[in-house]
Amino acid sequence: MSNKYVEMGMRSPVNLTWEVTQACNLRCSHCLSSSGDPAKNELSTAEALDLVEQLHTAGVFQVNFGGGEPFIRPDFEQILAACHKHGIMTCISTNGTLITPELVSRLASNRLVAIQVSLDGAKRETCDAVRGAGVYDAAIKAVKLLAATSIPASINTVLTTHNADEIPAMHELARSLGVSLRVSRFRPSGRGADNWESLRPTPEQLISFSDWLAKSGDVRTGDSFFSLTTQERQGLGLNLCGAAKLTCCVNPTGHMYPCAFLQSDRFEAGDLRASSFQEIWDTSKIYASFRNLRIHSCEECTRFDQCHGGCPAVAWHLKNDINGGDPECLERCVTSIADNRLAEAA
Amino acid sequence: MASAGFTKMAAAGIKLHPSCRTRQERFGLLFYDCKGPRLLFAATGTLLPADYFGTVRRRDEFPAGTSESEKKALQKFVTQLLEKGFLHEQ
Repeated sequence: MSNKYVEMGMRSPVNLTWEVTQACNLRCSHCLSSSGDPAKNELSTAEALDLVEQLHTAGVFQVNFGGGEPFIRPDFEQILAACHKHGIMTCISTNGTLITPELVSRLASNRLVAIQVSLDGAKRETCDAVRGAGVYDAAIKAVKLLAATSIPASINTVLTTHNADEIPAMHELARSLGVSLRVSRFRPSGRGADNWESLRPTPEQLISFSDWLAKSGDVRTGDSFFSLTTQERQGLGLNLCGAAKLTCCVNPTGHMYPCAFLQSDRFEAGDLRASSFQEIWDTSKIYASFRNLRIHSCEECTRFDQCHGGCPAVAWHLKNDINGGDPECLERCVTSIADNRLAEAA
Repeated sequence: MASAGFTKMAAAGIKLHPSCRTRQERFGLLFYDCKGPRLLFAATGTLLPADYFGTVRRRDEFPAGTSESEKKALQKFVTQLLEKGFLHEQ
């Protein structure tokens, strides 16, 4: 099932990912945007606040802030306040290391903010191997601070081959801390591309995770678009790529892309320093191509109604073919396992 | 007492829930609930302006010019919005 209303075209995104800075105090080996040093010529405070006004005018409901580490940006709370003044819901993806009681207290005064803290393993050594020494403890401390407030908080985990077996334990950990769990897909972009082979989950792990997810109703997934449970996604007919249809991405220098995993010149939809947000959303050829994207090669698949061809970003990064279908979809995982077993038997 | 209760219910107004937002789309109204988050796609066309439930309305109150058949459909729609928590009674 697809959503016929989404197919008609939305006047603006429902939500968007805004990477407010590329600066980060960590160097996670799977980072989708290779964060570290700030980008040259990042949006100024005035430009960022102007963008918030444009998002309000466009009717955007929610902004998902990422980076980099958003809290590194000195004016970040000012940007948040501008969103909240217009009733725009904000969700902040943070590594948790800069979360202090004072910051949490300020954020908790507003009911329009949600925070997800990245944690990549139920065990300290698993998480710190990806994110750096001491990060597990800092993130847990941040989650505890947030859980003690009214702020909707979650743990966000990127599924890799090293933590795949710890996901049920992470679910328990999240429950014990009083927050929810969201599991994001590992994609080969940014440093994730450099470390793809060493971090990618095996086909067996992906299938096992899918089975577990189907039985774990309160666990959310979804990266560039909506954080939803499997049931919610199916019910709304939103089991499709939302890039350029329901969501988009703004990078630290004001360039727009279909999603956070396709931030390259090839997929640039526009520059906010040259055009307005609404102009880019309405007229970008890249966005038009994503709205018309049909993965015909997957249409005969029995799972087509459930995934509509999967993630175009993964297809691009692994096969250089946006139309080729997701190379790591569950159907291909099953085929891959069967092929390997046949090869072993031969 | 029953009569007073009935009077109170009949007089109750409805309004967009504080956690919800709406906007006009080609098909009608798009509702968003930031608790969740949840979306609701409502094929209301141009029958209701996006800010219609931003102020307290009677359950049977609709814009001038709405036909009787449209009112019936909209009343069902309002009931659905109340059940799903996108509207709440004041």
